[in-house]
Amino acid sequence: MIELQGLTKTYGDKTVVSDISLRVERGEFSVLIGPSGCGKSTTLRMINRLIPLTSGRILLGDEDVTRLPAEQLRRRIGYAIQSIGLFPHWTVADNIAVVPNLLKWPSARIASRVDELLDLFHLDAGEFRDKYPHQLSGGQAQRVGVARALAADPEVLLMDEPFGAVDPLTREVLQNEMRRVHEQTGTTVIFVTHDMDEALKLASRIALLDAGRLVQYDRPIELLTAPAEAFVSDFIGKADLGLKLLSRRWVHQYQQAATTSGDAPHHWETDAQGHPTCLHGGRPTADVPPRVAVTDDWTATPGMTMKEALSRMVWYRVGVLPVIDDAGRLIGEVTLEGVMGRQP
Amino acid sequence: MMAALLRRERRRDALLPLLSLLLVALVLFMGRLEPLFHAAFPQLETPVYARESFWRLTLDHLVLVLVSSLISVSVGVSAGLFVTRRTGREFEPLVSALAAIGQTFPPAAVLAIVVPLAGFGFVPTIVALTLYGLLPVVQNTITGLRTVPADTLEAARGTGMSARQILWRVELPLAMRVIIAGVRVSVIINIGTATIGSTVGAQSLGTPIIAGLVGDNIAYVIQGAVLVGLLAIVSDLSFERLERRYRIGGEATD
Repeated sequence: MIELQGLTKTYGDKTVVSDISLRVERGEFSVLIGPSGCGKSTTLRMINRLIPLTSGRILLGDEDVTRLPAEQLRRRIGYAIQSIGLFPHWTVADNIAVVPNLLKWPSARIASRVDELLDLFHLDAGEFRDKYPHQLSGGQAQRVGVARALAADPEVLLMDEPFGAVDPLTREVLQNEMRRVHEQTGTTVIFVTHDMDEALKLASRIALLDAGRLVQYDRPIELLTAPAEAFVSDFIGKADLGLKLLSRRWVHQYQQAATTSGDAPHHWETDAQGHPTCLHGGRPTADVPPRVAVTDDWTATPGMTMKEALSRMVWYRVGVLPVIDDAGRLIGEVTLEGVMGRQP
Repeated sequence: MMAALLRRERRRDALLPLLSLLLVALVLFMGRLEPLFHAAFPQLETPVYARESFWRLTLDHLVLVLVSSLISVSVGVSAGLFVTRRTGREFEPLVSALAAIGQTFPPAAVLAIVVPLAGFGFVPTIVALTLYGLLPVVQNTITGLRTVPADTLEAARGTGMSARQILWRVELPLAMRVIIAGVRVSVIINIGTATIGSTVGAQSLGTPIIAGLVGDNIAYVIQGAVLVGLLAIVSDLSFERLERRYRIGGEATD
């Protein structure tokens, strides 16, 4: 758990961060978001005191760390930044081992921790341990950067727009990986971004800042459905609010039993293993044949966002998608009516 | 491009032992070349400098260079470190200017000033060489430390390294190649400049050169100059090897 109490930063008579108080529970993924210059980065950097705070208190667990020497504090807090800042003269293993080394862990423990982290990020330890940063791709380097931040099991992991500088494809992959790593490690994360889609994808709580002030700190769904003030809905964007909402909804929440009986307006055919093979009916327009074969792409999985499921319906011009399990067996369906019928 | 670079490096690497051998051979056996010099300069009575052995002269020369370079490097690196720390930042223009003045001052002029104060011989020469060699060391130390990427420093601070740990583990290793390049320039300059120490009585490889100039003996001048030149080339090649060891992966050379 980490708690910020009345965090304030002024430069001369200019207030950049004004009286921010928020509490991030253990294991929570908290995202600070807001327009440029809203003070989100400054807030983050005050937490590990790369920027000294003007006033306010920071509690880590039950401990007041506001007066703790900055170096000691930073060794308990992971820090990953957009430019990564890997040490170019050190191998990947040395880079990851920085904080454990500073904490004087025994070398055997450090070595096994390095391998464990490389493994966590699906980087082959044998291949990557002895590489140098210039031999890594952008995505790999960022993974190593996050691994370094996680190395000494920090009480909190601070991330300052870590995926801001990579291409959209890599960014998506890294976001998915971050979700997985967060689930696997249960680390408390505070993450700064200006990208609402990224926030919605990752956050369990979102803190929206504007001009140094905390506007709303809530679960993503509340931010979308119960904005505290007009600025919140303006910032989120009204144009695709519905789609943003669906990006926080999962297929398993909308899933219903699949119809296989011939009398229904649409129904599925399955093979002997239970894989869906064919859909009868279920298309919104008359110009498509009444019976179409199921392809790999127009299926949904329980963990998929409803935004993606809806996108597939639109693309394949079907009003219904089969939901399949890991083995590809039909376990249910989601329908266009289902998307519409549920309260946001 | 990389391949061409490596080829060039290999060629230079082969040159180093060859030239070192030549240098040692000339230092030890210059006397054996007497017939050669005699043939080239028949008008000279003693065509090979013999008032002092060449290895003694070379040794004295090296001591001059070594002592002055050690002082230049320790003073220069310390000054460079000081002005790149937060507390010393304001002194940077002053330090750079002082170092630049040290280099623009002709060493002969420094000798003229120091000799009346410190007498003849070793000390004034060391003072002149030290001042002369300071600038490249100071400049490169500052440049080297300044070119350490800001995000690397930010990351270093973020991991909880102390200022001293950041200096020793991150800044100096990353700046080392540029700092060594400065030392290289400084040493090479001083190998050449140390010869003028002989004008105020510091024995060096300049001694036969001065004697040759005074006594109209061109062979002495050649003997001294060839050895100084070889010494400079051998040192330069050795420094190049040392620099290469601090090259960070992917970084271009030259």
